[in-house]
Amino acid sequence: MSTNNIPLELKLNRKDFVSDQTVRWCPGCGDYAILAQVQKVLPTIGVPKENIVFISGIGCSSRFPYYMNTYGIHSIHGRAPTLATGLAITNPDLSVWVVTGDGDGLSIGGNHFIHAIRRNVDLNILLFNNRIYGLTKGQYSPTSPRGKVTKSSPMGSLDNPINPISLALAADATFVARALDADTKHLGEAFYEASQHKGTSLVEIYQNCVIFNPTEWESISDRRNRAETLLYLKHGEPMIFGKNRDKGVMLDGFNPIVVELGSGITEDDLLVHDETSKELAFILSSMSFPEFPVPVGVIRRVVRPTYTEGLLQQIKEAQDIKGPGDLYTLYTSADLWTISEHDEPQTAQSGELSQDVNEQYVDDLEQEPVETTFIQDLMVENTLADLKPKPPITVDADTSLEKAIRQMNTHNIGCLLITDDKDRLIGIFTERDVLMRVTGLVDDLAAADVGDYMTADPVALTADLPIAQALHEMSVHGFRHLPLVDSEYHPEGIISFRDVINHMKASFTDN
Amino acid sequence: MSLKEELESEQVAHLDLSGYCQTVTGTAVSDALNLMRQNRSNVCLVLDGDQLIGIFTERDIVRKVALHQELLDRPVDEIMTADPFAISCESSAAEALWLMHDKHIRNLPVLAEDGSIAGDMTYRSVIQYLAARYPIEVINRPPQPAQFPRKVEGG
Repeated sequence: MSTNNIPLELKLNRKDFVSDQTVRWCPGCGDYAILAQVQKVLPTIGVPKENIVFISGIGCSSRFPYYMNTYGIHSIHGRAPTLATGLAITNPDLSVWVVTGDGDGLSIGGNHFIHAIRRNVDLNILLFNNRIYGLTKGQYSPTSPRGKVTKSSPMGSLDNPINPISLALAADATFVARALDADTKHLGEAFYEASQHKGTSLVEIYQNCVIFNPTEWESISDRRNRAETLLYLKHGEPMIFGKNRDKGVMLDGFNPIVVELGSGITEDDLLVHDETSKELAFILSSMSFPEFPVPVGVIRRVVRPTYTEGLLQQIKEAQDIKGPGDLYTLYTSADLWTISEHDEPQTAQSGELSQDVNEQYVDDLEQEPVETTFIQDLMVENTLADLKPKPPITVDADTSLEKAIRQMNTHNIGCLLITDDKDRLIGIFTERDVLMRVTGLVDDLAAADVGDYMTADPVALTADLPIAQALHEMSVHGFRHLPLVDSEYHPEGIISFRDVINHMKASFTDN
Repeated sequence: MSLKEELESEQVAHLDLSGYCQTVTGTAVSDALNLMRQNRSNVCLVLDGDQLIGIFTERDIVRKVALHQELLDRPVDEIMTADPFAISCESSAAEALWLMHDKHIRNLPVLAEDGSIAGDMTYRSVIQYLAARYPIEVINRPPQPAQFPRKVEGG
C-alpha cells in the first residue's frame, strides 16, 4: 500500500462544521446560503475547530450556532457582542463569530454593537440584514426604509432607517465589508477576509427573507442585472461597474456621481478604492440604490491595536507593580451579606386575548405569493430519478490505480465509485483526482490502491431529491459528479450537469 | 422571459469564464500538468503568440498520459486537442451551451474580437449562472438534504 502522498496533518472540511440539528429556517431562506459559505470558509481560515465559537442573540439568524458543529451560545436578545467580548478577552486564541440581524443587532442590541466595534474587540460580526423582523412574522425593523408597509406599520413606517455601515464607521470600525447572500463566491471571500482581520470585523449581508420581505433586495440581487447594480470594490482599483464595464464612480466636489466611460471620461478620472480611507468609506456607505450601484466587498480595512492587546498589557503592568492577584482575597475584601429565604412569587394571572380581530385586515397584510417560472418549478418538482441517472461503475478500495484508470478509459467515464465488502459507497475517484494526486506523483500505478487516492465519504444524494439539490451541491460545493445511493448506501447512479442539461433541453422543446 | 430566452439574450462573456490556465506551445506535459495543479484548474489552453492552438484537459491526462507516464517529458502539443472548438465572446450563452452539449465538450474557449482569449466556458459557468439566477431554489438549502423544512416559518 502506498502512502506517499497522504498528508499526515488532519485537514478539516466543510462536513466537519455541519451539525446534526434540524434546520428551522423557512424553505428558500437566504440564511441557508450564508450558512453554506461559513461552513465552506471555516476549514480554510487556519484556526482549529475547537477554537471557533459562534455567539448569537435572538431572531431567525440567531439560530445559527445550532447548525454549526462548533462551540456556540444562543444568547440574550441584542447581547451577543457582550458575551463575545467577554470570551474574546478571556481567551485571545479563539476565533469568535457574532451572528446577528438588523433587529437584534441594531434595535435592542444597537448599543452593544457600536461599543464592541469602537473597542476593536477581536470579533467577526455577521449582520444579516433583511430589513424586516422575520421571527416575529413581519414587523418593520431598524433598517426598513421609510414608508415600508408592514403588519406593525400599516400606513407606512415613519422611521428613517439606520445604515449599518455608516453606523459602524461612526464607531471607527477597523474592518467593514458588505456582501449579498446569493452571490456565494463573493460572500465566502468576505467571510475569509473578515476572519483574517485582527479586531472587530463587520460583514453586512443583504439577506433575503423569502416569507416576509421577499422583494426587498430583488432589484439589486437579480443575476441578470447584478453587474449593473453592484459595485465590486477592490483595493487600489478604479470603481468600474456595468455589464460591459462601461460605467464608473467619480467625485464631484464632496459627492459621488455615476459616469459613463468614453466621451472624454477615462478610467483615470474615476475614484480608486482605498480601504484605509475613512472618508472614502463614508462616501461609499452613503451610496444607495438606485441612484448608485451598491458597493460590495471590503469597504474599510485598517490596523489598530485590539481591545485585548491593550487589556493584557494593562494587566501585565499592574502585575509587575503589585504581583499576581488572589481571587479569595479580593472576594473577602468587601462587605458580605447573607440573603434570607423569602416567599415564592405569586403566579401572575393571564389575561384573555382579544377576540376582536379583523380577519380581512390581517389577510390584506399578507404578501402576494411570488410567481414562479417553469424552470423554477422544474428544479423543485422534478427529482433526480427524472434525470434517468446512468448506472455507476464501482470498484473495491484495493483495486490498483492502474486498473481503476483503465476502467475509466474503457467505460469512457469521468469517475468511479468505490464500495466496501457490502457494496456500500465509501469513496469516489474522479479525473480530477488523477490530475491532482496521481499523474507524475505516483511511480508504480500497479502497486498503489485507489482507496488511498479517492475522496472518502463523498456527498451522495437519494433519487427522490429535487434537481435543485444536485444544482446546490454543484454550485455551492463545486462537485461535478454526484453519486446516488439507496437507503442502504448502495450506489444506484451517477449524475452530472450534463444530465441536468439533457433534462432541461427536453423540457425546453416540450414547452 | 423563459430561461431559454434568457440564455439566448445573455452574452457568453457575461458568464463566469475564469478557472482556466494557459501556457505556450512546446511546454512539457509535466509543466502543463503542474500549472493546472497550482491553479486548481482542469484545463490548460495552449497558445502560439496570442493565438489559441490547442486545449489540454484533465480528460487528456486520464485517457492518454496516466498510463503512459513517459509522455510527461513530451511537448504538450503532442497530447493536446489541436484547433479546438472556440466561440466568440459576443455569442449568446445558449449558443455556447448547446455547442458544448452537442459536441460533448466540457471546455469551450471564449475569444475576444482580436482573437485573444477572453475566458473558458464550462458547465460550471452555467451552473453558477443558474444558482445566482434562482438562489431561493438552488443556493438557499440546508447543509444536509434531510434537514429541509417541510413548511414555512420553520422557527
